[in-house]
Amino acid sequence: MTAPSQDEIIGRITDVLGVSEGRVRADVPLADLVSDSYRLVEMAIELQDDYDVIFSQADLSAVTTVGDLADLVRSRAGGGG
Amino acid sequence: MALADDERWLLSYYRTSEINGSLFFGRLARALKPSPIQHDLTKHFADEAQHAWYWTDCLDRLGTRPIKLSEAYQDQYLEAAGLPANLMEIMAITLVFERRVINQYAKHLSVADVRVEVKETIGRIMEDERWHVQWVRDALTGMEERFGKEHITDTLRRYKEADREVYAHTLAEHEARLGFLLAPSPNEPEDRR
Repeated sequence: MTAPSQDEIIGRITDVLGVSEGRVRADVPLADLVSDSYRLVEMAIELQDDYDVIFSQADLSAVTTVGDLADLVRSRAGGGG
Repeated sequence: MALADDERWLLSYYRTSEINGSLFFGRLARALKPSPIQHDLTKHFADEAQHAWYWTDCLDRLGTRPIKLSEAYQDQYLEAAGLPANLMEIMAITLVFERRVINQYAKHLSVADVRVEVKETIGRIMEDERWHVQWVRDALTGMEERFGKEHITDTLRRYKEADREVYAHTLAEHEARLGFLLAPSPNEPEDRR
């Protein structure tokens, strides 16, 4: 299976969050886009369901930016970090 | 007899927790692709919303209204146990939480002179809660191949510890309000007091 590109995942994150495309870039902190912890959990679950991957608490603890999250999905989907 | 402030607060607290549970499960049900878990999660979401209505109606029948509360029991879980990172962890924390809910409602029913409106409301909710525990337990069993049985057991243990911590904290924080739940019922056998 070909791992999704970072751009593709960022596009998916944009859809999940329902925000305008310009706001979601690799260097943007997730905290600027996600209003509360429940929203972060919901987004993490939706991405795992979409890409058939599993995150751990340690994985999510290391995620700060949109790019970090996209890289996590890529690495779990077999695309390297 | 008018509803005491402490009991009004507790019934409002139950209502808020049911609302928060419903909102969380509703968002997850919307996020997941079609699957047996999505199916049961959607029912669970609908049940919790219905329970919030039962408490609202119960308070109304008791001649009062819900107190607007910002905090809910499950909010404290995140602080005690960290954010659930995947669907298995959500199922695990849900199983622990549902068991706590059943225990709490059973404890409330054991208090002397429970009002008939409260007894009826808890009775209706308990019917759903038993199914909640069952479907979540089944979902976790179905996840054993993917996540590992031992890992699931460890996760449940971690959330049980967090639950005990949160419950003790809640009792301590609201000791004055919840004192009537801690007092032994006159119908309880002596050795259980």
